[in-house]
Amino acid sequence: MLLPLLAAVALQQIDSSSPHRPPRTVASDERLAADAQVRIGDRIVLSSVPGGAGDTVVVSAFVKRSADPSEVARAEYRVRMHLDELQSLIGYGDRVDRFAVQSRGGAAADSAIRRVNAAAFGFQAYRSRDIAVETSRTFAVVSRFHRAIGVITIVASAVFLLCIMLLKVDERRRDVAALRLMGISAGSIVRSVMIESALVALVGSAMGVLIGWAAAAIVNWHYQALYRTPLAFAVITPAVVALAVSLSVVLGLLAGFAAAQRLVHLPALELITGRREPRAPNRSRAAETA
Amino acid sequence: MLLRLAWAALTRHRARTLLAMLGVAVSAAMLLDMVMLSSGMRESFKNLLLSRGFQLRVAPKGTLPFDTDATIPGASALVARIRSDGDVTAVSPVLGGQLHVVLAARTVTAAAIGVEPAVQGDYEITHGREPAGPNEMVASADFLAASRLALGDTLSAAAGYDPQLRSLTGRRTLRIVGVAHFIYMPAGQRAVALPLATLQSMEGASAGDRVSLMMIRARSGANVDSVLARLQRALPSVSVISTASAMRQVDDRLSYFRQLALILGAVSLVVGFLLVTTLVTVSVNERLGEIVIMRAIGVARTRVVAQIVLEGVAIMLVGTVAGLGLGLITARYLNSILASFPGLPAAIDFFLFQPRDAWIALGMLAVAGVLAAVYPSWRGASLPIALTLREEAIG
Repeated sequence: MLLPLLAAVALQQIDSSSPHRPPRTVASDERLAADAQVRIGDRIVLSSVPGGAGDTVVVSAFVKRSADPSEVARAEYRVRMHLDELQSLIGYGDRVDRFAVQSRGGAAADSAIRRVNAAAFGFQAYRSRDIAVETSRTFAVVSRFHRAIGVITIVASAVFLLCIMLLKVDERRRDVAALRLMGISAGSIVRSVMIESALVALVGSAMGVLIGWAAAAIVNWHYQALYRTPLAFAVITPAVVALAVSLSVVLGLLAGFAAAQRLVHLPALELITGRREPRAPNRSRAAETA
Repeated sequence: MLLRLAWAALTRHRARTLLAMLGVAVSAAMLLDMVMLSSGMRESFKNLLLSRGFQLRVAPKGTLPFDTDATIPGASALVARIRSDGDVTAVSPVLGGQLHVVLAARTVTAAAIGVEPAVQGDYEITHGREPAGPNEMVASADFLAASRLALGDTLSAAAGYDPQLRSLTGRRTLRIVGVAHFIYMPAGQRAVALPLATLQSMEGASAGDRVSLMMIRARSGANVDSVLARLQRALPSVSVISTASAMRQVDDRLSYFRQLALILGAVSLVVGFLLVTTLVTVSVNERLGEIVIMRAIGVARTRVVAQIVLEGVAIMLVGTVAGLGLGLITARYLNSILASFPGLPAAIDFFLFQPRDAWIALGMLAVAGVLAAVYPSWRGASLPIALTLREEAIG
């Protein structure tokens, strides 16, 4: 067990270690070293309770905190010690909390797990990846939350894009009317509007990727400093870019199609004048009148 | 008259107006959710901490309650010392552990807390009664469901395993005398509570006279901060934490969510603002002739501005009202996602609705609606009448 010693590391007056035994070495967390102004070679006294008897040790190394998501929000300090030193310091006896076992991998790992679980009562062997899945449940929840927020953002973007495309197409009512009076087919007009909206979406998403890249850099800079961790909080991967751009283009095409459909279904003269023209009576109504 | 003109302008392009309102509704929903997220956690956590009237907590030095496996030694003396303070009315010591309940063909494991039933603040009895004897316990409904035991049943429980002896340790026969709702436990947690001395003896020498946490209730009207300061001075080997400092520490840990709420809330506001600005600007551009004719026949600039601002505000308000309903639904969904955080007390809500939140969201969007109409209304009101009429006539 790497017991978080928290405030147990302190320069204390009481030292229970034998004066004849050379002090053992420990590795200190970089945070602790920075906050307590500890340097390599410094002698410090470790104890398991504040103010309790302790052992003098020498700081021989600094340990950089790993990019472990499960440790991000934890602010405690850590020291790495020799196992027997820690067992003795906290009166833990000949006990450990877990063993890390290296196998030859693949089937060897499976058979090792089976053998350990069959042989030892009170123990349970796990694959490292199963433990990783269990300990990263918090981040699975955060990831689900982000996906849900992403869906809401996509809905908002889709509405925004559709609105903008409607406005853009509405602005060109007269152009569209002229094209239709010249004999350009409705299909061609719809396609041209869709291509235009796809281009708008493509350029917009390219700008979005740049903004996203800058935002990710700011987020990483801020949270890495806040939590003092090398963990990357926001990563823009090619898959994320591909998803964002393709989603944006598809939304653009749909918005362009919906907007163009409105125009091609209105009479050309109505598009030019902007006034609703009287509709021709339908055949049955005309026959009835006759 | 103003309202009628604004209404006519909005209904001229119904699809466009409806889409803008829908866009604003989605933005408003997101904004409300983010306002709820930014304040909900704090309020919910504060309510949880104060739900049983304990204002102070004592934890092992440098830790938050139950944040690590560390325990406080010499608990009896500490409890006596704290109880001797004139402003303290109750001290509830708590020891955390595990209980393995041995059934016919299986073992059910539950989170166990050792408490002094007379002063405990960790659970509420829903059926039955508090433990009165050393071999009595209360259990959560989830524990009873998992173990298929019922109120009044007797069970054989152990507090640990000894791998060398290959046997359960700290065995005791206990009787279930109550069903309880555990306030600080996550949803679905199998939990039991038994007298502190019983759990300490079951856990053996390692837990002798140790506790994980003490909760302190101060006298009504006492200055909690001065009680805190006194206890901090008197008990240097432990951390004495007030509700405010616990909230500060939790705030630090959950700062990510507050900052996310701030960023997404700001983005939602900007999106709503841009949507309304774009729509009203295009709408004004399409009606330049109409606007200058109004000006030409003597309609005051202020009325033109008021009409255009009214259009922006109307879109914002209708969208916002729809968005508030949408926001409550999405908040419920998002809360259900975050509620599955491992170890999170079931009573914590990330999205806690408070009428103040709705008013804040509504107010911000109303202001954004007014601001969104500023540029188009300024443009409409400052058009040169003759030149614009000429341009409109030429087409």
